[in-house]
Amino acid sequence: MAIKLTLDGKIHGVTIARRHPHLVLVIDGVEHEVSSLPALGDGRKSITVGGHEVSFSRASLRDRQIVRMGGRTFDVGVVDPFSQGGAGGSGQDALKAPMPGAVVSVQKRAGDKVARGEAVVTIESMKLQTALPAPRDGVIAKILKGEGETFEKDEIIVTLEPETEKA
Amino acid sequence: MTSPLFKKVLVANRGEIACRVMRTLVEMGIASVAIHHRVEARAKHVRLADEAVEIAGDTPVAAHLDIDRIIEAARSTGADAIHPGYGFLSENARFAQAVADAGLTFIGPDAETISLMGDKISARNFAEAHGVPVAPSVMPTGDLDAFIAQAEGIGFPLLIKAAAGGGGKGMSIVRSASQLREAARLASSEAQRYFGDGRVYAETYVERPRHIEVQVLGDGKGGAIHLFERECSVQRRFQKIIEEAPSANLPAKLAADICESAVRLAAAANYKNAGTVEYILGADGRYFFLEMNTRLQVEHPVTEMITGLDLVRCQIEIAAGSGLPLTQAQVTATGHAIECRVCAENPDNDFMPETGVVKYLGVPEEPWLRFENALDQGQKVTADFDPMLAKLVVHGADRAEAVDRSIAALDGLALLGVKTNIDYLARVLDHDAFRDGDLHTGFVAEHKSDLGPLPLDETELVQLLAAAALGFRDFQNLALGTPEPYSAIGGWRN
Repeated sequence: MAIKLTLDGKIHGVTIARRHPHLVLVIDGVEHEVSSLPALGDGRKSITVGGHEVSFSRASLRDRQIVRMGGRTFDVGVVDPFSQGGAGGSGQDALKAPMPGAVVSVQKRAGDKVARGEAVVTIESMKLQTALPAPRDGVIAKILKGEGETFEKDEIIVTLEPETEKA
Repeated sequence: MTSPLFKKVLVANRGEIACRVMRTLVEMGIASVAIHHRVEARAKHVRLADEAVEIAGDTPVAAHLDIDRIIEAARSTGADAIHPGYGFLSENARFAQAVADAGLTFIGPDAETISLMGDKISARNFAEAHGVPVAPSVMPTGDLDAFIAQAEGIGFPLLIKAAAGGGGKGMSIVRSASQLREAARLASSEAQRYFGDGRVYAETYVERPRHIEVQVLGDGKGGAIHLFERECSVQRRFQKIIEEAPSANLPAKLAADICESAVRLAAAANYKNAGTVEYILGADGRYFFLEMNTRLQVEHPVTEMITGLDLVRCQIEIAAGSGLPLTQAQVTATGHAIECRVCAENPDNDFMPETGVVKYLGVPEEPWLRFENALDQGQKVTADFDPMLAKLVVHGADRAEAVDRSIAALDGLALLGVKTNIDYLARVLDHDAFRDGDLHTGFVAEHKSDLGPLPLDETELVQLLAAAALGFRDFQNLALGTPEPYSAIGGWRN
């Protein structure tokens, strides 16, 4: 999964590279090991990034996170390229390209089971790598774009097997 | 004391000051009545009070200015006194009179004193008549030569102003006798053009003025004491944002002189209750009366912190006729206190007011810290009222410790969901000129280029982005595998 964040008019990408054995986030193209620590007693939170611990407080607004860290307050917005494709839940049988670009790597093969939000392919658009997540739990039907192939916005890259009704 | 001084007090205010007054009422065993507009039916000051009365009004502010309805609320609830707080009706002579006429006690001075001090000219004349320094000035005469001769007598620099003027028109600063005649002539012709009145007057121009004020208590019978001075030189948009007590680097003799002149004024006016005499102080040590505020000040907690007194309790005791609660010799000051006004505003955009929702409130707790507020998490911050959200008041053994503690407290304070000046206040306190006590009312403008937000370094940026990304619930679920109840909520946006 990837999200694009905005801070002071600049766009930054954060992607989940892997979760095991440690969570690794790709932040602006660079991998960082990240761990979340138990919340502090006073309501503040704490994480380590690349081994450095930092405490902060945070409030969630509709499409923004207000983060107070090191005595400074930041307003971080989200640019959400796949919310249109990813928020539907059932009935979502395709992964569409949120923007024009090229496939960098393919993590799954046809027939693989995927969980909602799990990365299926990694794409690169405007020099920013983004993992495209599965829109729902299911099974991969077809991978329509392989490594190195380019696509236009809204082009279908991966399809899922149709969902079967639960009894 | 077997019975309280009052049975029940109506607090004709809202927000932090209403809560602050009620805290003392509770301590004194006095019941409280809140008033509120419909939009604040569940506000903190309403919840704190023993009773609450809704006041109808076109706007929330209008409700708090409705003299008749507020007095009726006091009558209907059986209150025997009214505390006005600050702002709203606190310096309204008609209100003070109406309260008295209704047979209730106004916790403040009488209407006559409020009127005297409420008018700039009468207050200035009264101060001058009682030996309180006022800025030397030469009033307009028809004779330019006589005017120039008198103005030269005051000394330079001088400020030439149009008698009928305003907005800087017909105004100029004159630094030497050789400029005076030409400046007076120009000012006069400009004043004639703009205001149809060519009369000009001159007064001493104070460069880099400091704002010094003295807290006084008066018994209404000529008895008055002071509780030392406060410095309120750091201002933006002509309003104070950082206040301290005592003032920074003021020679003891000068501070004592200023305080004594304030007592003289309060005594001469037979001043009753708590009041503040404000002065302009020049770099040369000359000080001039500015005005007297006949009420509790926003920044009264810094005085409380150095003296250990409860000013609201003092007000109530004086209003009940108990006289001054202590003698001048009994008033002592310990350490240094600083108040920061936390406002919903954007310091990076000319301090324009901001609105929003208080999504998260995290307040550090320390024995040396008071966070005066009426905030609730989830509360909307609207443009209905003043943008001041809270006051962070800190005490230290000396000024340096009070500054360090204030910065630490601001760093630990989180008020998220509406833009505030918290970060900015910390930058002001941490500025070398502030630490050195090199203060004047133009401080914010003078140091503007040093007071902008600090850039993030690479490490901080990565930490911030990780913390922000993990705030989005779907991302957090996937990254950290948050257990079911959360992931079941789903929805990308939260």
